[in-house]
Amino acid sequence: MHEFSLAEEVINLAQREAEKNNVNTISEIQIEVGDLSGVEAEAFESALGLLVKDTILNNSKINIIRTPGKGHCNACNLEFEMHHMQASCPHCRAFPSIINGGQEFRVLSLLVE
Amino acid sequence: MCETCGCGDSDQFEIHDPHHTHSHDQSHAHFHAHGGKMHSHSHPHKKVINLNMDILSENNHLAHFNRSFFEEKKVLCLNLVSSPGSGKTTILEKTIHALISTNKIAVIEGDQQTLLDAERIEKSGAPSIQINTGSGCHLDAKMIGSALTKLKVEQNSILFIENVGNLVCPAMFDLGEYKRVVVISVTEGEDKPLKYPYMFQSSHLCIINKADLLPYVDFNTEKAIEYARSINPELEFIILSARSSEGMELWYAWLEKQLKR
Repeated sequence: MHEFSLAEEVINLAQREAEKNNVNTISEIQIEVGDLSGVEAEAFESALGLLVKDTILNNSKINIIRTPGKGHCNACNLEFEMHHMQASCPHCRAFPSIINGGQEFRVLSLLVE
Repeated sequence: MCETCGCGDSDQFEIHDPHHTHSHDQSHAHFHAHGGKMHSHSHPHKKVINLNMDILSENNHLAHFNRSFFEEKKVLCLNLVSSPGSGKTTILEKTIHALISTNKIAVIEGDQQTLLDAERIEKSGAPSIQINTGSGCHLDAKMIGSALTKLKVEQNSILFIENVGNLVCPAMFDLGEYKRVVVISVTEGEDKPLKYPYMFQSSHLCIINKADLLPYVDFNTEKAIEYARSINPELEFIILSARSSEGMELWYAWLEKQLKR
């Protein structure tokens, strides 16, 4: 999978933001990983843990926030928790459903010194 | 390196012109960390920077550049994705043979290793460039941007990007294409759309290839379409055989329609 490339993107993004804000230390980074983002959160966290050495994130606390998938049924308008991409509506069994949550994959914030 | 599929550093790629096989550009940084332990400090002068920034924003930004380039030059750029061996290169060879007299076509080939596909494409009569991703399992927008500095892409032309054979990773990386075409073949299971939903969700057209083999395999075409539509109701389908040419005219008609967009 692509979790190593994505972990590198995070390190590069953190480095750019640190330079932009003129800070040398990032004590915490908060990252949101949606359950339907296509990113395996555990694999991503392990990859990031392996790659941070000698980077701006070396001593940073990595705080990963998981966002559950949310679906909307076009047939009966039900909003429901979606555990995978091919989920039918739990009420009327219709699908496809519209995904309206859980595809996030972003850096939320940095705690800097 | 990723233990699942060998995905590695995305900066570690090489671009090869099949006519000049010794180019080695792109210097790259490596990270050789071994389980750096994470801990937080307390410090009196801390502040929070709120970003809410998409982690793929850099790739998306570069993809936007590529897209603007294609729009300016009126290039129809299509990103072909599939598992290995579905027949992408054969589809492209046939397409080039059929359309090169009336269309300007160029191809960017993506593979982990070798120039074999770019050489096949060149033989069919279209200019091509090969990106070798090394340990990487997908093409990204930066690689396409670099390839575009070496490959002559003409005004009012078609540019095919043949992505690395992989139904997982390329789904996340926008290259700046106009549309994404996912290829599956009837020698694969009809449940591919359910197993690899992200790819089918992000594609516009699904080509079901090797249709000449349908009498000999258990592939259920209707089921495959039903599964794919349950993921992506907007997905279009073309059933064809690049080998026997059956159904290829549907693909050419689809291309013609995109050219008139």
